[in-house]
Amino acid sequence: MNKHQYDVIVIGAGGAGLSAVAAIPKGLKVAVLSKLFPFRSHTGAAQGGISAALGNLEEDNPLWHAYDTVKGSDYLGDQDAIIQMCNDAPDAIFDLERKGLPFSRLGNGKISQRPFGGHTKNWGESPVRRACHSADRTGHMILHTLYQQALRRETNFFDEFQVVEIITKDNSCCGVVAVKLSTGERHVFHSKSVILATGGYGRCFKVTSNALSLTGDGMAICYQKGIPLQDMEFVQFHPTGLHPLGILITEGARGEGGILVNSRGERFMERYAPSIKDLAPRDIVSRSIYEEIKAGRGIDAKDFVHLDLTHLGRKLLDEKLPDVTGFARTYLNIEPADEPIPVKPTTHYAMGGIPTDVDGRVIIDPDGSIMHGLYASGECACVSVHGANRLGTNSLLDLVVFGKRAGQHASIYSESSKLSELPSDAGYDSESFLQQVRSNTRGPKVYEIREKMQEIMMDYCSVFRNEEGMKKCASLLSELREDFQKVTISDKSNFYNYEMMAAFELSCMLDVSEATLHGAMLRKESRGAHSREDYPDRNDQDWLKHTLCYQEKGNDPTFKFKNVNLGKFEVKARVY
Amino acid sequence: MQLTLKIWRQSSAESTGFFEKYIVDNVTADMSFFEMLDMLNNDLIKQNKSPIVFDHDCREGICGTCGLVINGRAHGPLKGVTACQLHMRTFKNGETLTVEPWRAKSFKVIKDLAVDRQAFDKIMEAGGYISVKTGGAPDANAMPIFKENADEAFDSATCIGCGACVAACKNSSAMLFVGAKVNQYAQLPQGQVEHSKRVKNMVEAMDSAGFGNCTNTGACEAECPKEISISNIIKLNKEYLKFH
Repeated sequence: MNKHQYDVIVIGAGGAGLSAVAAIPKGLKVAVLSKLFPFRSHTGAAQGGISAALGNLEEDNPLWHAYDTVKGSDYLGDQDAIIQMCNDAPDAIFDLERKGLPFSRLGNGKISQRPFGGHTKNWGESPVRRACHSADRTGHMILHTLYQQALRRETNFFDEFQVVEIITKDNSCCGVVAVKLSTGERHVFHSKSVILATGGYGRCFKVTSNALSLTGDGMAICYQKGIPLQDMEFVQFHPTGLHPLGILITEGARGEGGILVNSRGERFMERYAPSIKDLAPRDIVSRSIYEEIKAGRGIDAKDFVHLDLTHLGRKLLDEKLPDVTGFARTYLNIEPADEPIPVKPTTHYAMGGIPTDVDGRVIIDPDGSIMHGLYASGECACVSVHGANRLGTNSLLDLVVFGKRAGQHASIYSESSKLSELPSDAGYDSESFLQQVRSNTRGPKVYEIREKMQEIMMDYCSVFRNEEGMKKCASLLSELREDFQKVTISDKSNFYNYEMMAAFELSCMLDVSEATLHGAMLRKESRGAHSREDYPDRNDQDWLKHTLCYQEKGNDPTFKFKNVNLGKFEVKARVY
Repeated sequence: MQLTLKIWRQSSAESTGFFEKYIVDNVTADMSFFEMLDMLNNDLIKQNKSPIVFDHDCREGICGTCGLVINGRAHGPLKGVTACQLHMRTFKNGETLTVEPWRAKSFKVIKDLAVDRQAFDKIMEAGGYISVKTGGAPDANAMPIFKENADEAFDSATCIGCGACVAACKNSSAMLFVGAKVNQYAQLPQGQVEHSKRVKNMVEAMDSAGFGNCTNTGACEAECPKEISISNIIKLNKEYLKFH
């Protein structure tokens, strides 16, 4: 095996990974491993904005932002981390601005801000303009700006390296094993610290806004090594995916004044969230859409509703929402200035992930014990600032703020520690996995298992869930896991073997699907994005706690519980 | 509908490529071009043949990964979209489509339809960034920027780095790419400090990466999925001349 030594290794080159890189001093030797080319990462698809209480158009306050985030999380978010994030937000924006990010501007030259779901002023009174944006390509601009900064820093990029295993020894992490896609060779990256920034796992579900690369790799390789995954039952379904593709129409469209209507032409969100209507948080809007569909008020009695932007006028649409209008025209042949856009909820974001503290350090038990040298940030991590439901724009903020903090802490840790010796069995697990897949001769293909998994997760574990459906899903999922043991690939070469990598990604997706499904079966209440038809109410008495899911090879996973950090904001009913 | 595809197959950068003919049935108008290729690949996998390698990821036109030349046009026949945004309703039953990778000296074919675009990184490394000093947090809105400048910087910054401009150009020129980067920062106060150095270094990196020069055919602008204006090249030339 090829060997490399670094001080810090960053896995994933999206917003979180690159924010971490930007925070690492030049004296440290840094490598970034990405399965893609860096600026292809999915941060680039984020559309609507990044929130900070700048107050450029009206009074605002970081504590209001924190209050909204706590309430949006259905009180499962850790309040210390949330306050940290909202306080750091304005500086994070100015930092991006100084790095050359072209924010949209107001007439007076200040950064433009717009309303977004769940963001309010004066403790929930009415919507506030808090989301800074570059039209509707905010993520693209953040990603490119951060990538340019990483190039300036002379970072060592290992593009198209698929990380397949983390190397741990006595509660500390000392590197990773990666496959170089162009040769099929395995490389060991030996390091003092590792920062995981590998993104989410939307591809476990049939309808998703996520790119094909979002397969939960970083979470799964931790899970396989005995590190728990936190709050995996909370998956966000974004209310406005284009019907039928699932491609996202930004919440910014409603921020700019767009409304949702049912088959009777009613603005139904007035009934579900009287004070902030279409700008209610995503979990509420997604459920409301399905309630309308269930009641037969979907368009043409089908499984979608309309997003109406016609009253906004062509000029505003072209200037402020160019991508969205482009999507409607390109994918559906619809002119959004003249006719409404068909939408339905689409799998969007993982609130759960690898548990960390506010410095990105990975936590392995309910007491907060640390896996030394291992960090996670961005969507693959669970700090937890999003709790049971993330507010729009807070993911970009999360990855900029906590990516930076992880980079800073990993630097301090790496400066003061030595490379620990690699264990003798480093890389054994991934080696035997890859060999097994290569040697299988008769069995199902990767795409066959993947399609089935995506279907059952969508059918039984999406917006609404119940015991009966999930039990069925669990038995189907374990059958798929058994089938996967025999998975075969037709391409046995070493050179750009995408089929082999697809098999690895599928193994990751099966793992994180298992954690999600079993978490959802365990949590017998409805909170945020997790809605149980058989337990429709929130139950703070028994369930105001984080779940930590541990893999048990060959068995169902086991769970431990971790307390929520409360204190500043009182836990109340969540009404909008 | 049924289509005949003539697809470029090449097993590595060193090997000789060739067109292979495939007939695809059951194509529906709602299918995207890549869903059609997925379908073909699943069939190939079922027959134990190696699937066609093509670059793709987000499938919503923002990541810049995809790039195919379809019937001689970068990203296919439609204006202002990437190949992943192309739908089969654009084509007719019985049509024959030729599908090739980007063709340019600076973009080596990796396998089949996938090409190596790291030459763009080399250009960016030469100066496509702002060298900010780290230090204390600045005051709120310390840097007001005229809306017109901000809008123009935004338009230039919409470049997704797909390389269609290079593939469309008979000289394989990267000047639209470089022009967009230079103009983005030329519009912003943060970009002024190292402006002249940036222009010079990026143009030199572009030349040494083997990209050709602009002869004003406008093919890049016509094929750019983000419709970045050729005026970025005019501005690049102007800036370059200013300092040299």
